[in-house]
Amino acid sequence: MLSTPRLSHTAALILKAISLGYCFGFDIMEVTGLPSGTVYPALRRLERDGLAGSKWEAESTATAGQRPARRYYEITKAGKSTALAATERYPLLARLLPEKNA
Amino acid sequence: MSQADLNGLRRFDRALLGAVQMIVPIDDRSEWLRTWRAEIWHMRHLKAHRLNGLSVGLTCDALWLRTDSWRRAYTGTVSLCLATLAFLCVVATLIMVILTGSWPDAAIYLGIRLPHFIAGSPLLVLVVYAEFATSNPRHTEHGSATKFRFWFKRKLFLFAKTALLLLLGFLLSADLFQTLHASFPITSDLMQIFVFVVLSLLGLRWSFLDQQIRCKQCLRALTTPARVGRPSHNLLEWNGTELLCPDGHGHLSVPEMETSWCQSSRWTFQTPTAP
Repeated sequence: MLSTPRLSHTAALILKAISLGYCFGFDIMEVTGLPSGTVYPALRRLERDGLAGSKWEAESTATAGQRPARRYYEITKAGKSTALAATERYPLLARLLPEKNA
Repeated sequence: MSQADLNGLRRFDRALLGAVQMIVPIDDRSEWLRTWRAEIWHMRHLKAHRLNGLSVGLTCDALWLRTDSWRRAYTGTVSLCLATLAFLCVVATLIMVILTGSWPDAAIYLGIRLPHFIAGSPLLVLVVYAEFATSNPRHTEHGSATKFRFWFKRKLFLFAKTALLLLLGFLLSADLFQTLHASFPITSDLMQIFVFVVLSLLGLRWSFLDQQIRCKQCLRALTTPARVGRPSHNLLEWNGTELLCPDGHGHLSVPEMETSWCQSSRWTFQTPTAP
């Protein structure tokens, strides 16, 4: 059985943000306060490691809002268990980020 | 994404994306542009003051994609292995130049010790090869003996790797005892030969072991080891570890323990190997 990957504090923070519903790179930057140079490569790494996935917003939705379609990040099953383990490792993580309002 | 799709952005944004996209690998470029067009658009319309920070992000993102594509392309390859060994040899030579003070002095110092290297190297290779051949019979290859082209490539790589390792061992041992040479010339010479032999034996052993866990076609290091079979069924069926070629050329089955019907690792080609 594979063990849960151990994340750095920054990666855990970003993964936690995704799990709380912050699904755009820009949103994650805003809520975590991390610079873009950290957030975007970290998102790529999380996606490569199978902890987060991404999908494109439907063109029809974007067109209706008169804006370009965005890339949504969402947490995977493996990501959820990793985020849980990271929360145990970094107990303050849960307090740092508020739940995203719908 | 075409150039026309970038028209919704300001001139600065377009110039930035146009410049940085050159870093991104071609296969990922259209998706990268699409992602960043959307991010910049939203940033412009919501938080324009943070756009400078975003330009750092898109550059880091592009650099990450580039380095990741290199990682995927070169990890475990022959060229990376030989380049790393050659680089280490250059570093060891530079250390020697720094220790001796000049290129001519380094050349003279190494030139005096070169006979040790030339005389000792073939002997060391023979010893390690003989030791390896007798103590490790389960790693005899099967199934690829007929492919002369692949066999020749493997031997050429082994030769180049061995030569570089021996050279590296020689240079490192010379580096280690260069400072002692002025005070204790005989002792330092003897110690240098001893350290050269030890380093070379370790390096050669690694070289032979490394050779076994490489693809028999492309020579890339095998990955994703997976346990197959049940150890409790040792006398009933095969069990061991299977390693895969990252490029999908085949897999290597390494038995957990030697049995009368399975004493060696077996390489199986997955794809047709026609030219």
